[in-house]
Amino acid sequence: MTWHRVAAAADLDEGEAVAAEVDEHRIALCRVHGTIYAFENVCPHAFALLSDGFIEGNEIECPLHAARFDIATGECLSPPADRDLVTYAVKVEGEEVFVEIYS
Amino acid sequence: MFLRNAWYVAAIDTEISRTPLRRIFMNEPIVMYRTEAGVAVALEDRCAHRHLPLSMGKLIEGDILECLYHGLCFDTSGNCVKVPGQQTVPPGARVKAYPMVERYHWVWIWMGDPALADPDTITDFHWFDDPEWGAATRYLHVKGNWQLVVDNLLDLTHLAFVHTTTIGNRALVDAKVKVDRSPNDVTVTRWTVDAPAPPTFVKAGGFTGNVDRWQIIHFTPPSFVRLDVGATPTGTGAPEGRRVGGIQMRNLNAMTPETETTTHYFYGQAHDFDIRNPKTTEMVMEQITTAFLEDQAVFEAQQANMLQVPNAPQIDINADTGVLQARRILDRLHTEEQAALRTAAE
Repeated sequence: MTWHRVAAAADLDEGEAVAAEVDEHRIALCRVHGTIYAFENVCPHAFALLSDGFIEGNEIECPLHAARFDIATGECLSPPADRDLVTYAVKVEGEEVFVEIYS
Repeated sequence: MFLRNAWYVAAIDTEISRTPLRRIFMNEPIVMYRTEAGVAVALEDRCAHRHLPLSMGKLIEGDILECLYHGLCFDTSGNCVKVPGQQTVPPGARVKAYPMVERYHWVWIWMGDPALADPDTITDFHWFDDPEWGAATRYLHVKGNWQLVVDNLLDLTHLAFVHTTTIGNRALVDAKVKVDRSPNDVTVTRWTVDAPAPPTFVKAGGFTGNVDRWQIIHFTPPSFVRLDVGATPTGTGAPEGRRVGGIQMRNLNAMTPETETTTHYFYGQAHDFDIRNPKTTEMVMEQITTAFLEDQAVFEAQQANMLQVPNAPQIDINADTGVLQARRILDRLHTEEQAALRTAAE
């Protein structure tokens, strides 16, 4: 497993999501109540990018068909998606955000 | 799917006169005319006697509409007031009357429960009246469902493919789109920063260098789409809210369902430059009309295929985010309206 730098902490606004890529991994980064979370960015239902979705509290809603996921745990909370999201460990060092990828 | 409890545009004000005008809204034939005092009236366009369109008749004795077939006379509230050749008017001899309000150079009609027809809920299109803007409006008949038009106006990505001669160019394809929503509206925003101006903007704004261009689309149910568009020379601060040295326009759209597969499409364009020059208004209308005729060909081909292959599956792409949010609002409002109708029936 390796830590990869994916964003500057300053680019992550509260309640907003941004997309990042590490090799073949498409990752969404999201800051909620000050904490940065990372999870797979492609909705398992119809492959929409979750970083284009709607963040409400601790949940993110897919922009197309309204599947909802827990941002912190990746848990799938409502259909039409039918599985949880992969999540990634996040660490912030100085101004830089890193995620941990198993390869 | 129709939402009935809402104001819709029935006509451009100049279309309604002392000559009865027939138009179908939500499958219901309507006849529209003006009283001698100039007030717009809308009645069911089907004589209560033998179904002839009253619009084939004529206005007599002031504001009485006389049927062409047997001369039955109807007043502005739809009541039959005379049956030629007899002393009495039979019970039930009336046609439906619809609330109408004239605003922003459009004449609005209410197809739902008249008790709910509050003119304060008419969507704001003040640019047609505003002395700070030049503006004009036109009408298109579309052989396609009204929601196809709403979808199209909420979707910015087709500009780069359908409208390459007018409002689109390839600079748009990869620009980031942001969608914001609330329970009863959707806003789609795209900024194209430091990019070449598209042909219409070069023509209207005289830009010689790159521009910062904004397209901010506001959807209001059931079928109103207002676009705030413009450009300023790049680096002059438009993304931060300072709009100087450029041009702004409002593209104003109101779709009224005729049937499930046809639509009355009222559109207009307002401009904040050279506002007193009718030639400029004509030029922006010609540009937008060119684009909308391209869209019309798309709607009609879509609808024809949808009739050819009913209920065929479709896929969604990321660019559909605004479209799907709007459709979800409309579905919810339709469910609520149907539930209220069932409650009222019980």
